[in-house]
Amino acid sequence: MGLKPKKTKIADVVPVVSHQLKTPILAIKWCLESLLAGDQGKISAGQKEYLSDALKNIEKIYCFIDNFFDVLKIETKNFEITVKPVALEKVIDKVLNELSDWIKANNCKVSFKKSEKLAKALADPFEIHRVVQRIIANAVIYRKGKGDIEITLKQEKGKVLFSCKDNGIGIPKKDFKKVFTKFYRSEEAIILDSSGAGLSLFISRTVIKLSNGKIWFKSKENKGTTFYFTLPIK
Amino acid sequence: MSSKKQKILMIEEDYFLRKIYKNKLTSIGFEFIEATNGEEGLNKLISEKPDLVLLDLILPKKNGFDVLIEIRKNKELKNTLVIILSVLSQKSDIKRGLDFGAQEYLVKSEMSLSDVVDKVKYWAEKIKKKRT
Repeated sequence: MGLKPKKTKIADVVPVVSHQLKTPILAIKWCLESLLAGDQGKISAGQKEYLSDALKNIEKIYCFIDNFFDVLKIETKNFEITVKPVALEKVIDKVLNELSDWIKANNCKVSFKKSEKLAKALADPFEIHRVVQRIIANAVIYRKGKGDIEITLKQEKGKVLFSCKDNGIGIPKKDFKKVFTKFYRSEEAIILDSSGAGLSLFISRTVIKLSNGKIWFKSKENKGTTFYFTLPIK
Repeated sequence: MSSKKQKILMIEEDYFLRKIYKNKLTSIGFEFIEATNGEEGLNKLISEKPDLVLLDLILPKKNGFDVLIEIRKNKELKNTLVIILSVLSQKSDIKRGLDFGAQEYLVKSEMSLSDVVDKVKYWAEKIKKKRT
């Protein structure tokens, strides 16, 4: 018989596999949230702590799956963004607000300086939120002792320029070329946090590139790293 | 003022997700009905006339987009409020869902349980106000 089975492309199965993996995780996440909210009765402090730990870990798995499927979409050229005018300073404020407890718990201090007048940037609101979140989270995770993080936002040559400077472990020079490649993690980074997958900067670069912006960094080992990106303005 | 409970129909294949929302929404005073696939969902829409539908997209028998198209084509159902609750986060899916006439498109991963419940309460309140 000359009939060949039709080849299934990875891109075709991504939505289904992603749905199958994410649904049970979401069920666990929402169950935990419901228990924590006291929907099934009052919980003790100890129970609350364990349930919160479980929730954090579930969120970690979810985040990894999300990143992994983003990479798969990027690789199969199915990753899309929708660009709109976005007030980047509001995005940064929102991220800082969402992460504030976690930043404090990790012994870090964050300052945010912005220029008085800022035009709106052209970006995908959801994706750019994740880019900012990933860059700031990296600055916290890869701190050295007490973390001091400075975020700035200004307008320059028809673009908005974001920067996030930390005093963390830095990136070894030999690894500079690998920073934005997928699954890259420096040896020091693996020691500090074994759970990362090295996907967030790869995805962030794709998002910035698709928005017609640029992303880069400066770093000195044991001194710190500054990440920058630019975005076109409206 | 009528004390009749507002009716929510959840069209969702996953038993556990239905159970979570059933418990949560009935505990705050909604009537909760459920369907496990698109066809059953449409049948319940016709027989039960819910005030609001929580619609998943990846569904057996008839997918959520097709269910939504049929709701908007049907004279009796076309004004039903539909909130899509899906894991699909691609911009093209979101656009399609809203273009087909969903009031909201919620990406499951971006929502906590209480976020979703707040959205249901918000729309339910809107329906109430419209009727009074």
